Amino acid sequence: MLFFSYFKELVGKEVTVELKNDLAIRGILHSVDQYLNIKLENTRVVDQEKYPHMLSVRNCFIRGSVVRYVQLPPDGVDIDILHDATRREARGA
Amino acid sequence: MSWAGLEDLFLSTSLASYLDKKLLVVLRDGRKLLGILRSFDQFANAVLEGACERVIVGDLYCDISLGLYVIRGENVVLIGELDLERDELPPHMVNVSPAEIRKAQKAEREATDLKGSMRKRMEFLDLD
Repeated sequence: MLFFSYFKELVGKEVTVELKNDLAIRGILHSVDQYLNIKLENTRVVDQEKYPHMLSVRNCFIRGSVVRYVQLPPDGVDIDILHDATRREARGA
Repeated sequence: MSWAGLEDLFLSTSLASYLDKKLLVVLRDGRKLLGILRSFDQFANAVLEGACERVIVGDLYCDISLGLYVIRGENVVLIGELDLERDELPPHMVNVSPAEIRKAQKAEREATDLKGSMRKRMEFLDLD
C-alpha cells in the first residue's frame, strides 16, 4: 500500500500520466485508489494534434493497469520520508 | 453494502460522479466509444447507453451507433467526461458516412501494410 499512500499525498498537484499506448495526459491529480486508478482534472493531452478525440475531455479516469509512468512535480517527493516508509513497509510494520 | 455519501462520491476515484453523463471511453485496441454511463463496478466494467464508436481516419470521422454496450473492464484505458461547452473535435474535421469511413480505414490499412512490406524488402540495406 506504500505507493497508494504516496500518491494520496500528491492529490491536488499537477502530474503527467503516460499510458502504455503512449498517450500522455497532464492534469491535476484529483484522486487515486488501491489499484492506482487515477482521476485527473483540468486535463490536457501532451500531443493534442495526434489525439483529436480528447479535445473536449476535461476530467478523466485512468485505469491503473494501463499506466506506464507518472511524472511528478520536482518537489513532489521527499526522498527521506519515502526511504523510511519503504524500509518500514519491507519490515512489514 | 451502503451507498456512498455525496462527499465520498466527489472525492473518490469511483466512477459514480460520471453516472448519467456522456463519456468517452478509450479501449486498449484504440477504439473510442461514446455513450451515457449507466453502471460500473470496481473493475471498470461499464454499461454505456446509446453507445457509438467514433472512427477517426486523418481529418475524417464517423460515429457508428452501437446501442447498449457492456464493456469488460480489462479493455478500458481511460474514461473521459466530455465538456459539453467545448467542441468534441477540431473544426477542420469532416463528418462522413459509415461507408466512406470504412473506405478511408481500408486505404489507411493498405498504406501501412505497403510501408511495412517495403521496409521488409529493403532490410538488406540495413537502414538503421
